[in-house]
Amino acid sequence: MPCKNQLSKMKKFKSLQYIISALLLSVSLWSCQESENPDLNETGEMIVKFDNYVGNRPLVLDPTGSTNYRYTLPNGQEFNITRFGYYISHIKLEGPNGEVFVDPMLASAAEIKGYYRVDQSDPSTFEIRLKDIPAGQYNKISFNLGVKEDGIVEGAVAGILDRAAGGWFWNWNSGFIHYMFEGHSPASERVQGELRNRIRLHLGGWKNISPTDGTPQRFFDNNVTISLPFDATVRVNKTMRPSPHIHMDALQVIGQANFAIDNNIHTPLEGRPFAQRLSDAFVVDHTHQ
Amino acid sequence: MIEIKNKKGGWILWSTSLFFILLIIGCSQAPEAPVLDRYQFEKPSHFPEPTYTFRNNQVHEKGFKLGRRLFNDPTLSRDGSVSCSSCHLQSHAFADTWLHPMSIGVDGREGKRNAPPLLNLAFHKEFFWDGGVTHLDFTPILAFENEVEMDIEFPEVVARIQRHPEYPRLFKEAFDVDEVTGPFVLHALSQFMLLMVSADSKYDRYIKGDSKALTSLELDGLKLFRQHCESCHQEPLFTDLSYRNNGAQRTITDFGREIVTERMQDRGKFKVPSLRNIEVTSPYMHNARFETLRQVLDHYTDGVTEQVTIDPKVFANGKPVIVLSSDEKEKIIAFLKTLTDPGFLSNPIFFNTND
Ligand code: HEC
Ligand code: HEC
Repeated sequence: MPCKNQLSKMKKFKSLQYIISALLLSVSLWSCQESENPDLNETGEMIVKFDNYVGNRPLVLDPTGSTNYRYTLPNGQEFNITRFGYYISHIKLEGPNGEVFVDPMLASAAEIKGYYRVDQSDPSTFEIRLKDIPAGQYNKISFNLGVKEDGIVEGAVAGILDRAAGGWFWNWNSGFIHYMFEGHSPASERVQGELRNRIRLHLGGWKNISPTDGTPQRFFDNNVTISLPFDATVRVNKTMRPSPHIHMDALQVIGQANFAIDNNIHTPLEGRPFAQRLSDAFVVDHTHQ
Repeated sequence: MIEIKNKKGGWILWSTSLFFILLIIGCSQAPEAPVLDRYQFEKPSHFPEPTYTFRNNQVHEKGFKLGRRLFNDPTLSRDGSVSCSSCHLQSHAFADTWLHPMSIGVDGREGKRNAPPLLNLAFHKEFFWDGGVTHLDFTPILAFENEVEMDIEFPEVVARIQRHPEYPRLFKEAFDVDEVTGPFVLHALSQFMLLMVSADSKYDRYIKGDSKALTSLELDGLKLFRQHCESCHQEPLFTDLSYRNNGAQRTITDFGREIVTERMQDRGKFKVPSLRNIEVTSPYMHNARFETLRQVLDHYTDGVTEQVTIDPKVFANGKPVIVLSSDEKEKIIAFLKTLTDPGFLSNPIFFNTND
C-alpha cells in the first residue's frame, strides 16, 4: 500500500523533481515488484485477419479496364473492382477482466508504428500481427478506420504514409484516402483518361470544423471507430496466438448509391455518406483460438 | 528519503543546488564567443512562435544545402525542363516574375494562379492560395504532381533521386539514411524553405526600436496602413492567415477556399497574402490582375463591387469601405516599400551553388 501512495504523490511534482524522486524511490518501488505475480509480464501475439467480400462473395480484383462485371448492386447495376483497400490504425483489444492492449502508435520520417493498410492487391497485408499483448483473455477489438490527425500533423512520415512509397495521399487537400474503391460499371459514363465506365470512391477527411456563427460546417472527419465483439473469448499467452477473422462487406459501404451518379467521390463532404456506413461493413466472423 | 520528498522546502534546496551545479558545469564549458550558425532557424524576436514541426526536422547545414540543390534541379520535372526555382526566384522574394503572371510549367503549360512569394512559411498554418495543404512538408508534392507545374508523380521524383550519382550520398550525410525515401526529400526541401525568413526590412528596424528607420512620409503611410489594411494584413507577418474575398475577381470563376472547405460561404476567398517584399512581387492577387501597387489601392477604393462573399471590411452598404485620397495612397505605397528586405533578396545562402 505505501508504494501506491508514493506513486500518486509523485505525479504532483514537476519534471526535475519527478526525475529525482523516481531515482530516489526506485529502491522502494523495487520491493513492490517482488510481490507481483511474475505472470503479469507474460505477453503474446494475435493475428487479426481481414477477409473482404462483396455481399457473400469474396472480393476479387479485376485488371483496370476490365469489362468483366462480377458483381451486382441491389439496384441491378453491374460492376467490378480494380483497386481496393483501407487504412487501419489505433488498434485496441479489451477483455472481460479489465485486460487492455493498446497498439503503440508512432509517425516519423524514419519509421511509423500502428498504421496498417489492407491492400487487396497484396495478400500479405490481409493479416495484422499484434505483438507484446499482455497475457489474458480478450473478447473485443476496436480500431480506427482511416488515418487520423496524428498521422498528418507531424508532416512527412514514412512507410505506408509516404506518398512516394504509394501512400494514398491527397496532394491538394492534405490527408489520406481512408477507404479506396475503384472499378468499372456500365452504369457509369465517367471517363478517366483512357478508361471508361469508371467508378472511383476515395473516402478521406480528418478534421471537423464547426463554425460557431451557425454557418455550415467546414471539413468533415471521416475517420470511423469500429468496435467489434469477438464471437468467443480468446486467450493470449506465450503459446496461444489466437486469430480473429474480420469480414468486410463492400456492399454495405456502397449502400443505396447509384453508380450512374455516385461514381467519382474525391472530397470529405462527398465521402461523408459512405463513411457513415463503414462501421456496418465490418464484423468478426469467427475466431481461431 | 521519503521525509525529504514530503517537505517542499527540501525539494527547493535540492533542485536549486542541482541547478547551480549544472550552471557551473555549463558555464565552465561554454565557448568564449557564441558561434553563429547561418543554417539554423532563428525566430525573429518580434515574430510569433513558428508553427512548423521543428521537433521532427531541425534545420542544419547539410539538410538545407541538399534542399537548395533539389529546389534548383530541373531533372525532377517530367521532361527535365522546370525546377522549383523556375517559378520561385530569389530576386522576387521567391515569387514568379512579371513575365509570368500565371506560372508556366512543363511544355509551357499555363497555370491558373500567380506564384506567391515564399517567405516566413515557418509561421504559416496552411499553404497555397486556397490553404488546401496543411503542412509545409507536403507543399512540394503538389508542386511536383500538378500537371501545370512539374507534372511528375512524387514516387518517380524519389526514384530519380535514388538513382542519381550523388544524391544518395548527400542524403546519407544529411539524414543518416541508406535509402532515399519521400519524407527525407520533403524534409530537405522544407529545410531550404524554412530559412526563407524575411524580417530585416526598414519597417522591422523601426519596430525593433530604430525610430529613424522610417521617414515621416513612410510613418504617415504606416498610420494609414494600420487604419485601413491591418485588419487583414496583420503585422508582423502582414497576414492574419485567414481567407477572404477582397474582390480580386470581377466575376468569381476560381472558387478558392470553397474548393477545400466545400461550403459556399468560402466562395472566391483566398489566403490573405503577406505584403513583405511586395515591391518586387508584381503582378498582384492570385489571378495577377494588377501590375502596380497604385492599381491595387485604386481597386480597394474604387474597384470593389458587390459579390456574394465580399468581405465587409472592403465593401459595405453598397460601396467600398476604404476611402483614401491620392496623396494617402502614395503614403501607403511609400510605407509598403519599407517592407522590402534587401538582405533577404540577396542572401547568398540561397544562391544556386553546389557547395
Ligand atoms: C510552374 C511554376 C511552379 C513551380 C515549378 C513550382 N511552383 Fe510553387 N507555386 C506555384 C504557384 C502558381 C503557386 C500557387 C498555387 C496555388 O495556390 O494554387 C505555388 C505555391 C507554392 C507554395 C505555397 C506558398 C504559400 O504561401 O502558401 C509553396 C511552399 C511552393 N509553391 C513551393 C514549391 C516547391 C518546393 C516547388 C518545387 C518542388 C515549387 N513550388 C515549384 C508555382 C510553381
Ligand atoms: C478584408 C481583408 C483585406 C483588407 C482590409 C485589405 N486586404 Fe489586401 N488583400 C486581401 C486578400 C484576401 C488579398 C488576396 C486576394 C486574392 O488574390 O484573391 C489581398 C491582396 C493584396 C495585395 C496583393 C498581394 C499579392 O501578393 O498579390 C496587396 C498589395 C494588398 N492586398 C494591399 C492591401 C492594402 C494596402 C490594404 C489597405 C488599403 C489592403 N490590402 C486591405 C485582404 C485584404
